[in-house]
Amino acid sequence: MKMANPNYSKPLPAISDLNRPYWDGLKNHQLRLQKCAACATIWSPPAPLCPRCWSREIVWTDLCGRGRVNSWVIFHQSYFRGFEGDLPYNVAEVELDEGPRLLTNLVGVDNAAIRAGMRVEIVFDEVTEAITLAKFRPLAE
Amino acid sequence: MAVSPMLNMKDRTAIAGAGNSVYGRRLMRSPIDLAADALAAALDDAGLGRADLDGLVVSFGTPIGADGDTIAQVLGLKLRAFNQTWAHGRFTASCIQWAALMVAAGMASAVACMASVSFSGLRKPAMGGAGDSEGAREAGGSHGQDPAYGMTSPGAGAALVARRYFERYGATARDLAAIPVAFRKHAALNPGAMMREPMSIDDHQRSRFICAPLRLLDYCLINDGAACVIVTSAERARDLKKPPVYIGGMQPLPAGREEFIWAYPGFGVLQQTVADYDAGLQPVYKMADVAPKDVDALFSYDAFSILPWIALERFGFCKPGEAAGFTAGGRIELGGALPMNTNGGLLSEGHIMAWNHQVEIVRQLRGECGARQIKDAALIQWANCYGDSLIYHR
Repeated sequence: MKMANPNYSKPLPAISDLNRPYWDGLKNHQLRLQKCAACATIWSPPAPLCPRCWSREIVWTDLCGRGRVNSWVIFHQSYFRGFEGDLPYNVAEVELDEGPRLLTNLVGVDNAAIRAGMRVEIVFDEVTEAITLAKFRPLAE
Repeated sequence: MAVSPMLNMKDRTAIAGAGNSVYGRRLMRSPIDLAADALAAALDDAGLGRADLDGLVVSFGTPIGADGDTIAQVLGLKLRAFNQTWAHGRFTASCIQWAALMVAAGMASAVACMASVSFSGLRKPAMGGAGDSEGAREAGGSHGQDPAYGMTSPGAGAALVARRYFERYGATARDLAAIPVAFRKHAALNPGAMMREPMSIDDHQRSRFICAPLRLLDYCLINDGAACVIVTSAERARDLKKPPVYIGGMQPLPAGREEFIWAYPGFGVLQQTVADYDAGLQPVYKMADVAPKDVDALFSYDAFSILPWIALERFGFCKPGEAAGFTAGGRIELGGALPMNTNGGLLSEGHIMAWNHQVEIVRQLRGECGARQIKDAALIQWANCYGDSLIYHR
């Protein structure tokens, strides 16, 4: 993995008490989401209770880091200065094998080659000392 | 879960007046200034004076528009009741529904419902990038904004839905051109519309990508202006200057894990499940005692061209996946079986948070629309991809 870039100029996620375990997990190269100890639902984004059964018995569970592309877009318009050099860049919605969907960037694939249903696996992108983003690349099968 | 029956609001209230400011880019006028024009025009249209107005419901507000409290202070209103939604486009019907309920409950007797916006008064763009405060919301923006991955702007959320739609149902971006092309034809007949030059399907296909698969001509306008309607009891409206436009049915705005602003439940974006959506007979039709086939014209929020497709399917005008065929061949154009957004929509008349659409509906039902008049329009529906609706009739 590349070294964290001190001049990283893209927006960074806002860390809250609720989502800190998620970002701490990525920093340790683990993709984790909340799981309900009562009904086994796994969900995103982080919640104070299980959105299905309202149990507060929540554990952070490691996921396999694989999924498939559900939808995607290609930005041709510059909105953030930090992304200008990447135009046109993709944002994809990946459905994890465990069910929840994450918005992310696909790496290691041409934008024109992105397909619905494409199998992907996580890549941990250490963008700063503090933040590692979950990106995805095509899974060699 | 026991659900109480809704208070039957069929025909209890009506739109008594409608008015608007000029719509345009860089008008160099403040939102309160524009609001004054729309409010005065709507009151005059109803034959009411400032002293008759005792309620106000505003959608939008700071930082793009004028807020309800300052409108009341600056314009010298004396209101018994006012309310406002956050700076978001999806609350148009909600505001009118609140106004109708306020009138039915006796909290106010004449309620102005409006938005006034000045996009060109902003120091930096608010619909994407660093100025988009939605991206900083806890748990994310309401259009899927996630700035760390460059996901920003309402249009990107619509593009995510469009791509998913194309993949799930096999429709194409070229099929989608039917929406902006139809609304541009309508705008050409509307002297107040901002974009009136002809647009072909090829023009649409040649326009540049903003967030693929959506192109520039899939995106609505960004502009300044204000529009307003006045809600009173049906009884009172009958005694006023113009014929009443009755509110025959209303359906509230849903929220929850199955809802994404640009897609119906089961569509399968963000955390929605994937399921076959069945519109059934939506509650708005039950209250108004009509069916989709009785609707003379449909108006719908069209910030992006994909949204009217989703609305048509959500309300059962066609089944999921059929909107491309439904909107082909002029069916949604003036003279077609179901004209849509005859003002030109947000895509070509202007983006007044769809308050311009409400004004157009009132004028269509009164027969005031000249070259773009829908022949014998008696019943018009406002229905959105996000699930709320109003049925208006003469």
